[in-house]
Amino acid sequence: MISILGRLVVLLALLLATIGAVVSFAAAQRNAGGAVARARRLAYAYAVMMALATALMIFALVRHDFSVSYVAQVGSLATPLHITIVSLWSSLDGSILFWGLILGAFTAGSAFHLRRSAPDQLGYMLGSLFVVGIFFTFLIAGPADPFAPTPLPVPTDGPGPNPLLQNHPLMIIHPPMLYLGYVGMSVPFAIAMAALFAGRLDRDWIRALRSWLLVPTGFLTMGVMLGGWWSYEVLGWGGYWAWDPVENASFLPWLTAIAAVHSALVLQRKGTLRAWTVILVIVTFLLTILGTFLTRSGVVNSVHSFTQTPIGPIFLAFLAFCLVGSVVVLAMRMDTLASDPDRETLWTREGAFLINNLLLLVFMFTVLVGTLFPIAAELVRGVKISVGEPYFNRMAIPVSLGLLLLIGIGPALPWGRADNRNVRRALLFPIPAAIGGLLLTFVLGGRSWGVLATGALAGYATWVNLDQGLRLSRRRREDEPWTEAVGEAVRRGARRYGAYLAHLGVIVTFVAIAVSSSYQVAHEATLRPGESMTVAGYHLTFEKVNALSEPHRISERALMRIERNGKNAGMLEPALNRYDSRMEPIGTPAVRTTLGHDLYLSLMNVGTDGSIGLRAIVTPAVVWIWIGVFIIVLGTAICLLPAGLRFSDRRPDALPGVEATA
Amino acid sequence: MNRKVLLLGLLLVAPLLVMLGSGLQHDPHEVVSPLIGRLAPDFTLADLDGRPLALTALRGQPVVVNFWATWCQPCAAENPIFSELARRYAGRARFISVIYQDTPEAIRAYELQRGSWGPALVDPESRTAIRYGVYGVPETFVIDARGVIHEKVTGMVSFEGLTRTLDKALAARNLGEKL
Repeated sequence: MISILGRLVVLLALLLATIGAVVSFAAAQRNAGGAVARARRLAYAYAVMMALATALMIFALVRHDFSVSYVAQVGSLATPLHITIVSLWSSLDGSILFWGLILGAFTAGSAFHLRRSAPDQLGYMLGSLFVVGIFFTFLIAGPADPFAPTPLPVPTDGPGPNPLLQNHPLMIIHPPMLYLGYVGMSVPFAIAMAALFAGRLDRDWIRALRSWLLVPTGFLTMGVMLGGWWSYEVLGWGGYWAWDPVENASFLPWLTAIAAVHSALVLQRKGTLRAWTVILVIVTFLLTILGTFLTRSGVVNSVHSFTQTPIGPIFLAFLAFCLVGSVVVLAMRMDTLASDPDRETLWTREGAFLINNLLLLVFMFTVLVGTLFPIAAELVRGVKISVGEPYFNRMAIPVSLGLLLLIGIGPALPWGRADNRNVRRALLFPIPAAIGGLLLTFVLGGRSWGVLATGALAGYATWVNLDQGLRLSRRRREDEPWTEAVGEAVRRGARRYGAYLAHLGVIVTFVAIAVSSSYQVAHEATLRPGESMTVAGYHLTFEKVNALSEPHRISERALMRIERNGKNAGMLEPALNRYDSRMEPIGTPAVRTTLGHDLYLSLMNVGTDGSIGLRAIVTPAVVWIWIGVFIIVLGTAICLLPAGLRFSDRRPDALPGVEATA
Repeated sequence: MNRKVLLLGLLLVAPLLVMLGSGLQHDPHEVVSPLIGRLAPDFTLADLDGRPLALTALRGQPVVVNFWATWCQPCAAENPIFSELARRYAGRARFISVIYQDTPEAIRAYELQRGSWGPALVDPESRTAIRYGVYGVPETFVIDARGVIHEKVTGMVSFEGLTRTLDKALAARNLGEKL
């Protein structure tokens, strides 16, 4: 029953997307407002259909309706309710349906938000979104149909979702965040395509581009971080980033999205980098499709990748269509987006933005080459190889230091022409902060040149961003109370504050990554009940193993008593879980987090004689990576505050002494 | 039309697509089983009725060993393929299955509904599966007449693929007999 209904709804959505694409492009070409309004309503209807299809699937999952093939594939009577619901995205077919839901929401959301835009631009944008929609809805309707009926007889129970996904609550929010970022990149792409088709990237459309670029970039930032956090809390190897192809797939569009956010700013402010911004936005979208292809087709090997599926070739065809289509449209229409003449020197803020863009692109190409190299090697030499962490780290460290340097230098530099004296003063002024950062790092125990350089650059950048951020609130009128002045400044300069806050978040994250990856201490031991081990000031005593039987798994927990510097610090229970459908046990590490460091216990094995193999890792500053990213996302959200958006409407001279953009 | 942009773009895009297309032909998950070309690990397992069956007793003809479970969808899809193969190669090759992480009751109910194409052997504590390096189900091993593992199929078998392998194994056996 649900199979039939679900398929019907999906087919209807496919029909709506197809009609929507035709209506949108036709209306855009005629610049007809009425017809574009109809296309807009089709976008809402499409979103409703995708929501309905998803609701039907969740209903089937919760009801354990094993006559629906996806439910038979991932459902199980023993699985708890909340995991049953999130198993919507635990396997290929369901995750594509979830993709469709988010795409529908973004299509409808952008259609509504930009409803007052010029008909041709809006029409082309909707048309482009519908084309993406057609492809994904087609996948749901045919090749990856989650509603397909199960071959008879219908099983009475299923295997349940992948055990790795059942192990941690982060799995409930990590995929949605990542999807919101990934799928959301369709909107700026569609806006960029519309600019090319219409041959116009005017003030309003630049603003639309920037807002709709910031939204998915914020989600993507969050999603990438949550992925690292999940892998840290679940996989049990004590790290948070392994340059796994799927991690890279989420990181690649993030790098170009960040580059685009910055070049869009220069565009908004100076009118330059027009075509460049459009290209960056298009590349970002193409990288999301490439990433999805890599993870869904089984071309690369990874913990995350879904197994061999028939959708590989279809996805490749869509990727080819998007790549070639983008190149052709760019070649045909790029000349219509001539930038305003640019006569600036390198030592200006625009110059810093440009270098930031280049560094991010170098970073992206490095990661891309490392990710695709195994495929190329197999094609050319017929050997299976994998590209390891050393390759990525060798490249990532200098580029990250370069970016950190720019976070300091960029905001310190003035826009436009500046005389050398001012530049020199602006750049030399924060040097004491750099020395302070260096000394602080040294005193806290930093010895490697990478960590010391990070400390110095972080000190410099923190000073500059705090100084720039606070500069607005300093300009209050004599009779105005401070509270009002700050409130007014935040309201007016939301985008500035957001940007500087995001920069501070990046600084925190970079420092935390440098410290945590340089000063990890790990120790392994085999312990019998009553025995103990010592690692980095911790005294760990193994008491016993508790076996816990749950409906969907059997969990063996090692009770560890923790003492730090002779004082009791509670218990930790690293576990090994055995799921019905898997032979290999899956570990759940136990983590004791403090602001300074994490104690991380990973249970390696439980012997028949009651002994355990335990891996204990002490890593400094890990928690600051998550905190730093939260700050970045908060900054991004502040950038999107309505006041900040409206603010850019005003001419800069309307507010004496205050720069319109940051 | 900006020819420079077009040319540069296509020059970047074309090799990428060729490479990804070629990547589709390979399965990166595929790890060549170290068992291939070696003597198949022997086992003596009981079927659902408790009748023991030893692998060595089947020497002299190719044997297909399929690891499966009732909760596994691809296994269910394989069922008609094995039924047809068992019918076609009756008397020339043997088809047996080893149950992986499942209960005898579930298997009985399943076979009542879908029929059975060969003995389904119970594998206590997955010992045999471990010796064969089974990672997930379905996995299928083709053992030739001398008891050497000829091929391993991870995931669903294809009718044509298995036919080809079995024909090769049979031809090798006949050649061996002639020599």
